[in-house]
Amino acid sequence: MTAVVLDGIVLGLQFAILGVGLTLVYGLGGVVNLAHGQMVVFSAIVIARLIDKGASTLVAVAIGVVAVGVLGLLIDLTLMKPVYRQRGESRVLLGLLLMLGVGFIIDGILEWKYPIEALTIRISGDPIPILGVNMRRGSLIASGIILMVGAVLVLFFRLTTFGRATRSVIQDEEGARLCGVNPATVRTVVFGLSGVLAGVVAVTRAMSTPVVSTAGVDLTIFALIVAVVGGLGSVSGSFMAGVLLGIVNTFSAFYIGSYVTTIVLLMAAAVTIVVRPSGLLGEKS
Amino acid sequence: MTASAESAMEEAVAEGPTGSASAPRDFAPIAVVAVLLALVPLNFHDSGSMMTVIIAGLLFLSYTIAFNVIFGSTGQLFLCTGALAGIGGFASAILSDRVGIPMLLSIVVAGAFAAIVGGLLSWVAVSRSLDTIFTGIVTLAFSLSYQNFILGRGDLTGGEDGLRIEAGGDTILDSQVKAYYVFLALAVVYLVLFKLLQRSHIGWAFRALRDDEVAAELAGVDVTRYRVYAGLIGSAMLGVAGAIFAHHRGFIGTSTYSFGKVDVRVLVMLAFGGIGTLLGPVLGALVFTILDEILDSYAQLREVLYGVVTVTLFLGFRRGVIPTLGSLRDKFVSPSGRGRRPTKPGG
Repeated sequence: MTAVVLDGIVLGLQFAILGVGLTLVYGLGGVVNLAHGQMVVFSAIVIARLIDKGASTLVAVAIGVVAVGVLGLLIDLTLMKPVYRQRGESRVLLGLLLMLGVGFIIDGILEWKYPIEALTIRISGDPIPILGVNMRRGSLIASGIILMVGAVLVLFFRLTTFGRATRSVIQDEEGARLCGVNPATVRTVVFGLSGVLAGVVAVTRAMSTPVVSTAGVDLTIFALIVAVVGGLGSVSGSFMAGVLLGIVNTFSAFYIGSYVTTIVLLMAAAVTIVVRPSGLLGEKS
Repeated sequence: MTASAESAMEEAVAEGPTGSASAPRDFAPIAVVAVLLALVPLNFHDSGSMMTVIIAGLLFLSYTIAFNVIFGSTGQLFLCTGALAGIGGFASAILSDRVGIPMLLSIVVAGAFAAIVGGLLSWVAVSRSLDTIFTGIVTLAFSLSYQNFILGRGDLTGGEDGLRIEAGGDTILDSQVKAYYVFLALAVVYLVLFKLLQRSHIGWAFRALRDDEVAAELAGVDVTRYRVYAGLIGSAMLGVAGAIFAHHRGFIGTSTYSFGKVDVRVLVMLAFGGIGTLLGPVLGALVFTILDEILDSYAQLREVLYGVVTVTLFLGFRRGVIPTLGSLRDKFVSPSGRGRRPTKPGG
């Protein structure tokens, strides 16, 4: 019982950080990044290739995370420019379709060049008992990293000028502009940040399960569900939703089993949206 | 493309806001499309693989028209077109092969089944007033649940191995050329249905909803009811198309109606052709079927190229090709001031 809950939290934290990356970009510019999962896999494969070539794990991870951050910056500076010139629903739709195309491209390249590549980061050492449950070191370190990244993000958004500017754009783009905040700069930086978060997902996930080159679509779908259940644009909402869905997932996997798990997870998400369309912590627009 | 098709296309685009055009003018584009598509098998009837490709193209045309009824007319982003078609396909297959009811009846029942499910989804989305993205996510969650159900209930659906269907074996659906005309008839019926819906008072309500939901509601349009109608009708269309395809192909599996194989492509086809337009689905299905066939020979690079082409096309035609053609015509051809509204670059 405790073991199931703890496993759920470990998985949920990974879901959470996955959702945060998507939710920030949507909250800011209205772009549903349907390539977010593919960006995670991109980062994972970069790291795996570097390790294969003999780089130390730490260096490879650093390069892989920075690389996907740069990819995010580049996407924002090129493809997203025409999207941001649109308003309302047509912006959402164009952004969504373009990122869908980007997802195809990344998926296609990975499938073509590295069909069987996967990233696994092995953390050696004995399991550590927590509340009487032996937890694997990899899972614990991964969870620690995610909690740290989450805390840094929250502090960043609350305390720094840039963080406050970001929140102001999420709340009211026009108002922020009037106060001298340039939404375009904020969006670019946050798209890069979202890329870095995708890299964090790749690294932390690889500590417990292999991240395979075909995982992109599934990861994107999980990111979407978590972001929407948490409330689009809300970092803490994503964390809550991620952990909640993680626990639901391991619970139903343990007690009900097989295909019903996913259905339960999906229904939980759907019911949350239907009951609270603004998400757990989202603000009503 | 022939001159007549082109002018017919522009005709459809230029359709007046009052919808007062006479019936022949309204339905002429559909007739042109029907005649042109009817000639296709003359070229390809002895190539089995080509017939498979163009029948799949027609199937996607039907899917896209149905999706257009739901999304194009009333803005409900149903990311479960594949799932609804799959419900039709599996229901019809199981009803005809296991329960033993006649194939035609099983197709009708399957359509009704899909309509109920789609209508329910639509009712939930509308009564909770979910916006585009949220409707999209709820229906996406439904899609994936459907997928898991098909895999999980392998005893009924064949699971990963797929399901072999006997009922269509010695019918009209067995021969490729005849099946082509069945699917063509279906697509034409769907186009007519779409046009009829646009012309009816339901279409009026749809347009009012799309232009200004609040104003429409104030003017007495029952928003909920009309959205759910669109959900019901469109879902029935998807279910029937999926069911007919199941009997034609004689084999369906999880990938036949999967999200990646159906929903993504239907969305791309419609957005490319022009959301809410009569001929948008025709153009989208045509272009992407041809593109698919060309890219097929690049094997591994296929998906990359598909992505590149998708991105490029959407950067070029942000509102879809048909509306873009329409405003170009308004700009250069229209002699009166009627069409002189400028095309705002990038809104």
